[in-house]
Amino acid sequence: MQNFDVVVIGSGPGGYVAAIRCAQLGFKTAIIEREALGGVCLNVGCIPSKAMITATHLLHKAEHDFKTMGLNIKGGIEVDMKKLVSWKQSVCDKMSGGVNQLLKGNSVVVIKGNAEFKNQKELSVKSISGTDSVTAKYFIVATGSRPIEIPGFPFDEKEICSSTGALAFDEIPKRVVVIGGGYIGLEISCYLRKLGTEVTIIEANTSLLSGVVDPECAQVVTRKTERSGIIIKYGAKAKGQKKTKDGYEVTAEINGKDEIFKADKILVTVGRRPNGDQTNLKAAGIAIDERGFVKVDAKRRTNIPHIFAIGDICGQPMLAHKASYEGVMVAEILSGANRVYDAKTVPAVVFTDPEIASAGMTEAECKAKGYNDLLISKFPFAANGRAVSMSETDGFVKMIADKKTHIILGIHIVGPEASNLISEAVLAVEMGARLEDIALSIHPHPTLGETMMEAAEATLGHAIHIIQKPLAGTKPAHA
Amino acid sequence: MATDVKLPELGEGVTEGELVKWTVKVCDVVKADQTVAEIMTDKATVEVPSPVAGTVKELKFKKGDVIKVESVMLTLSGATYGTATTTAPVASKAASNGHTAPPVATPANNTARSSTMNMSAASGIYPPVADSRVLATPATRRLAREIGVDINEMSGSGLAGRVTREDVISAKGGTASLGSGSGAVSAGSPSMNFPKPAYTTTNAQAEERVDLVGIRKKIAQNLQMSKAIIPHFTLMDEADVTQLVAMRESLKDFAEKNQTKITYLPIVMKALIATMKEFPQFNASIDDAASQIVYKKYFNIGFAADTPNGLVVPVIKNADQKTILEISKEIIDLSKRARDGKLKIDEMKGGTITITNIGSVGGTYATPIINHPEVAILGMYKIQDKPILKADGSIGFIKAMNYTVTADHRLIDGAVAAYFLKSFFSKIQNPGVLMMGMS
Repeated sequence: MQNFDVVVIGSGPGGYVAAIRCAQLGFKTAIIEREALGGVCLNVGCIPSKAMITATHLLHKAEHDFKTMGLNIKGGIEVDMKKLVSWKQSVCDKMSGGVNQLLKGNSVVVIKGNAEFKNQKELSVKSISGTDSVTAKYFIVATGSRPIEIPGFPFDEKEICSSTGALAFDEIPKRVVVIGGGYIGLEISCYLRKLGTEVTIIEANTSLLSGVVDPECAQVVTRKTERSGIIIKYGAKAKGQKKTKDGYEVTAEINGKDEIFKADKILVTVGRRPNGDQTNLKAAGIAIDERGFVKVDAKRRTNIPHIFAIGDICGQPMLAHKASYEGVMVAEILSGANRVYDAKTVPAVVFTDPEIASAGMTEAECKAKGYNDLLISKFPFAANGRAVSMSETDGFVKMIADKKTHIILGIHIVGPEASNLISEAVLAVEMGARLEDIALSIHPHPTLGETMMEAAEATLGHAIHIIQKPLAGTKPAHA
Repeated sequence: MATDVKLPELGEGVTEGELVKWTVKVCDVVKADQTVAEIMTDKATVEVPSPVAGTVKELKFKKGDVIKVESVMLTLSGATYGTATTTAPVASKAASNGHTAPPVATPANNTARSSTMNMSAASGIYPPVADSRVLATPATRRLAREIGVDINEMSGSGLAGRVTREDVISAKGGTASLGSGSGAVSAGSPSMNFPKPAYTTTNAQAEERVDLVGIRKKIAQNLQMSKAIIPHFTLMDEADVTQLVAMRESLKDFAEKNQTKITYLPIVMKALIATMKEFPQFNASIDDAASQIVYKKYFNIGFAADTPNGLVVPVIKNADQKTILEISKEIIDLSKRARDGKLKIDEMKGGTITITNIGSVGGTYATPIINHPEVAILGMYKIQDKPILKADGSIGFIKAMNYTVTADHRLIDGAVAAYFLKSFFSKIQNPGVLMMGMS
């Protein structure tokens, strides 16, 4: 029996961050992890997929742009998939090892094993070395989510895979059918295509990334995805699969008719579900909603006052950075600080080609919130020197502001390094910046970041590097 | 399990109070909302209720101690929370329409207040600011929550109503510009830093030092702020109130039948309101933060009242809609409670103009200070018999009464004030005119 002030269950970007902050605040803290430290994000999610995307992006550049730039490669480029995957794994191991060091450095006790509540005060932790009992004054449930499995496609993670299995392919599959054109499915599709895989996406909706990002941003990615040779089937419902002598036949219903798609591997990326059915949460009396999320308040406290929940397990959006914010917040609440979840926006980034990133509201969300008079404009990367010199000119920065006050309500980027550019937008939204605040901040030249300044100017009606009608914009109310 | 009961917010701008007495002792069983202590603030004495029921375990202060708002006053064992504690903290906002009348007495036992107190005792029960339309940086939002200031409906002093760090701090300190967004008046400048020169002396033995606290301190702060912000000017004139005196004499019987007494004040109020309707800039405020003039469509008339604790200004709300008889009764009631220190904070808030009546004591003229954020104050002085030279060359006698109008020169020009006073005189010298405006 071990006793702690705080026990964190799950060591993903919510859990390990919470544990470190708890330790910093002087709590005797333990963290329990059944798999690798860092959770899905570091091991089978964000980080490994980015490693694959970076590598395949370079490959794509070498194959497509080098020649134009006068960089001739003698002979073709050979992809050593086994080496690529082991390099990807080394990235994950480095990150996971780093988390281990940080936890140790902060004197957080790391317990390896599968935790289950016995009651409100006690966990049993099963590991290879046996079962131990752990008690604590406070528990933080950070047990995350897992890929949704659909009927007819049971994961074996070799041939019928979730993202986890797909990231571990150690040879380039010839034909892949991807069920679900959300951000995870698209990211993997994009990089597999660059490796030469024939990819067919079976999407139930009539567009990709529907409801996730700004529709115009999604359109840019859709066009480029289709141009790259990926086949997208809209309004298609995957019904089942059949193993044949040369792979699989996936049946999908499209417009009431069944169509068959051949594949060597099947990837199912239709979303993720919270792990509310695990950890025996009901033994502690923790309330769970009908979708499997643990019910929490603005302090991320569950119905049991000394038990908190953070990250994917406690609600949408299921994003690592939201989990980390909650982790820090809950640790500080435990130490007596008065905090609530008080963020205006959780930025979303999609590592497609090109990338999509957004902060704040879409036009539809603005309207739903009662902002009826909006200023909306876009600035294209094609008009940005750095983008042209990188040979990455697809996409734009789109800004949405309140017409009366010029307060920025949303920024949506599709284009090169959108994921890195979006942080300025997050700051702008959180600070309540006006278009002029961005327009009047000197942005360094020549950088992709200038597109932010130019998009703000464009929304005000007078960007320099695109032609706008004279005085198209309104004069600021009180500049 | 012991539960801490904290000293709740006692009113806008009140940060601490002196413990007058405990009304419970250790081992007493208290009910939710039961008064546990009397606290004297710079505004008045307030009865503090317990937000929860339980048994008193420990009293943390003794009589005479100064207790800061939000500090633990006492602990209860076996506390059970009532249902009243979860309501949203609207009360402090509701009270912000208009602004802190200066020197103020206060609520002694006001049930409406107690829900506010319970609420803030449960501290921090208000929704995340990110979900509202309020603009404030993440750091400011955090600060506001940490010190218990709900900025969800605040209109700040920054661009486009942005709530600044300074706004939050001064909201806690009491001079913030809380606005309901719908034309509510913001309270001039947030925290103003006045120089604090020391008084040095060579004759300390023959002097006595007393702390500048309570109502006196509040009076000092408010008047200093008003004088610092508003460029004052005063116009003085003498009115022939012979008819007014006769009219009031003739009303005495009527008043007695209605169990009241009619003074000149309600009649002066009516004449003032009629004049303000012609000169709306007198029924206004300047929102310095927003650089706007706020014209008010309602007439709340404050009147300065001298009390043993110092100057307070009770307010007759919507005086334009009340009869002279009703106003008379209200003045008598408010004056009595002002002297007894029993006015509710609400009863001293929201004035749109103030009348000061020194006449009952003496003095020919004075130069009053405007009750910020109002923009004018009317002074009325003693009625005297005065000989005059009549048109036919003979000497006659009139009842003469001096009036002053002191105005905010930023908004009101000298000539306008002169026309204002002239128009006012046309009514007060011939009170029958007032009947013309009655509906």
